[in-house]
Amino acid sequence: MNSIARSPILAPLAALLLVAAIAAFTTPRFLDAGNLSNLALQVSIISIVAIGSTFVILTGGIDLSPGSAIALMTMVFAVSIKFWGLPLPVAIAMTIVLGGFLGALLGLTSAYLRIPAFISTLAALSAFRGVAFMFNNGSPVFSVHPSLEYIFYGKLGGLPLPLFYLVALYGIAWYTLKYTAFGRSVYAVGGNPAAAKLSGLNVKRTQFFAFVIAGATAGIATILMAARLNSGSPNYGVGLELSAIAAAVIGGASLAGGRGNIINTFIGALTIVIVQNGLNLNAVPTSIQTVVIGAIIVLAVGIDMWRNELGAIMKRVFKIFRSSKN
Amino acid sequence: MNDSSSMSVPVWEVRDLTKRFPGVVANDCVNVVFNRGEIHGLLGENGCGKSTLIKSLMGVHRPDGGEILNNGIPLIIKDPMHARKVGISTVFQEFSLVPTLSVAENIHLGQLPGTALKIDWTSMMERAEKTLCKLNIKIDPERIAGSLSVANQQLVEIAKAITRNATMLILDEPTTALGLEEIEELHRILGGLRDQGTAILYVSHRLDEVVQLVDCVTVLKDGRVISSAGDTLVEIDAIVSAMIGEIAEHYPKKPAVRENVALELRDVFTANKVNGVSFDLRQGEVLGLGGVLGSGRTEIARAIFGVDPLLSGEILINGRPVSIGSPRDAVESGLALVPENRKSEGIFFNFHGLPNISIASLGKLGHSAAMNLAREKNLGRDLIERMSITPAAEKLLAGLLSGGNQQKIVIARWLFAGAGIYILDEPTQGIDVGAKIAVYNLINELAASGNSILLISSDHDELLAMSDRIAIVSRGRIADIRPSAECGKTDLVRASARDMAPA
Repeated sequence: MNSIARSPILAPLAALLLVAAIAAFTTPRFLDAGNLSNLALQVSIISIVAIGSTFVILTGGIDLSPGSAIALMTMVFAVSIKFWGLPLPVAIAMTIVLGGFLGALLGLTSAYLRIPAFISTLAALSAFRGVAFMFNNGSPVFSVHPSLEYIFYGKLGGLPLPLFYLVALYGIAWYTLKYTAFGRSVYAVGGNPAAAKLSGLNVKRTQFFAFVIAGATAGIATILMAARLNSGSPNYGVGLELSAIAAAVIGGASLAGGRGNIINTFIGALTIVIVQNGLNLNAVPTSIQTVVIGAIIVLAVGIDMWRNELGAIMKRVFKIFRSSKN
Repeated sequence: MNDSSSMSVPVWEVRDLTKRFPGVVANDCVNVVFNRGEIHGLLGENGCGKSTLIKSLMGVHRPDGGEILNNGIPLIIKDPMHARKVGISTVFQEFSLVPTLSVAENIHLGQLPGTALKIDWTSMMERAEKTLCKLNIKIDPERIAGSLSVANQQLVEIAKAITRNATMLILDEPTTALGLEEIEELHRILGGLRDQGTAILYVSHRLDEVVQLVDCVTVLKDGRVISSAGDTLVEIDAIVSAMIGEIAEHYPKKPAVRENVALELRDVFTANKVNGVSFDLRQGEVLGLGGVLGSGRTEIARAIFGVDPLLSGEILINGRPVSIGSPRDAVESGLALVPENRKSEGIFFNFHGLPNISIASLGKLGHSAAMNLAREKNLGRDLIERMSITPAAEKLLAGLLSGGNQQKIVIARWLFAGAGIYILDEPTQGIDVGAKIAVYNLINELAASGNSILLISSDHDELLAMSDRIAIVSRGRIADIRPSAECGKTDLVRASARDMAPA
């Protein structure tokens, strides 16, 4: 996207390579084929949710609900197959539509009813998980469908299936943001809503559909989440919204809206997953892992904020380096 | 002003000041002398180095060469706090008042009287009152700053600036948001400050008010002093020719009015200040809306453009009634709005030039699910060239361009959309003379090809010179409408005065 401000791809890419190098250096198992394919599986769910989060963030909003929405939807999905007898393809389609519907609810409250997205989606974070517990007396549903796991663990040409979903979904998202009038509106609305309105764009509708997209991608992530353990649970997806937002932010998206790039979001998601994976392989306890993720988010935003200062420091270092050589 | 003070050591002086940025010399051996009791106008086109000079005086930039002298003694200004301490205070275009605090608190912000644990409210109020009194400003120090009018907030800014015993007061474009009466009030207060011995550095693009106010003028061009205070005649033509280097016709008006009525308003009311407005606008015509800030000019534009819904009345485009419920409908009806506030309502700072130009008419780029970006580039480049926008606009974020280029981009947006009726709300506010003339030429060009223009401007000379007819807006209605040739500046001023009088 040449003509729209984007976060430079180099910084997130450098961060990704750095964490990958550290992981590979500290534990030789990191580069095992088994671990790498495991990474692909792990990144798939976060990065699909992150697509939706990026759309919302680009319009200048925020979505704190997808973790809870996914818990709710895995329950509906599992119950609909196991107890209502819905065929698997129908249940999948229904879940994605349900995701879009939940997103529409949030879009309605924040774009049209003018409740700040931070508040309305924070409320949804609480409420959706509550609804998730209303199914099956709040107990997880196991052994949902015999062929469900294939969706997550299946392979095509030796590559895990989720990789294909990723490529397809990121392809669509990238195309949408670059080549459609809607994608352009997403950037415009996030960049300057007043100017967008006076340019004849439908600001509210754009914000609304960003939430619908976020809901639908959460719906897709729901299928993978349920397929991973062939189950639905009201406890799934805790903290997933934070990882998804972090992926966008580490990828350089501005929480003020209008700046960011979907490919960078994927790099951000991969960075988070590699950090988690590296810490796991080094047997670092989960409690510390969450602290590390928090620190990384602060650092990612900090690097963006301190760009000028860092540039000046690098320049000086370079100067000293050069003069010492002469 | 008088000889004895200008002969003595100037209170502030900038000597051979040089400041370089990567690729440009923003200030090149600049020499300026600021005397006590003198209002010094600093003029020049955008990018001439005015802001750099001000920022060096404010301690934001550290000069690469030359020095700043206070009473003849060289001084290094470390940062803005330090600048204030040594007596340089600045009043900005954007206000720095805390809207939820009282006037007195704002005036003393950062140096509240009392101890760290307890503010001495009585002494703060007294001191604020004294400062306001000294400036002859009639504002209650207990009022909440946010409840004041923009003009009064500006005056509080000045009070805040001088409470620190400033020996030099810098005002950067202080009048962009002010109406005529308010500008006069500001001038009166600045005059009072001058008489009390403060040196004032005054920056504005409004030459008419500059020549009324200042005692001397320094003109900068390309980072150099091109006409120093002693040499510059305080007179518009002399300043313009110094600024742009040649004597161009300042207002190149070319009449092009045709027969057909393009836009007609019939007794339009809105909930936002528009009280029964009727007028017609012909093809090729420039209709100027005069009147003070707050008279309802901008609100009429908002009503036409579908921002404020009509309570009653009718809008006709090319003789047919239209229902405009949103800016989107307006754009589809061929209307264009160049808003008053370019930064907050015009420019997309996250976009480069091209998407800023195409945004109002993405449909022109082909199907909305498959925009033709090559077409965007070609059409956009044509407009950039045609409107002599800097070619860098294509590769730079809009925020990095000068105000003039930004304004041209907002106008280019509507040329791209192929609009027929242009509402230009303060189109030349805060842009330099060269860009202003480019905007005037563009208005002529648009009119010549049959487009209609509704021009809103607080610059009376500009409004009179560029319009075919003038409609004087007062209290949300058209008080008078007549050919601009029959309308004098005094009519506009008188209309303003009428508006200011109590209802």
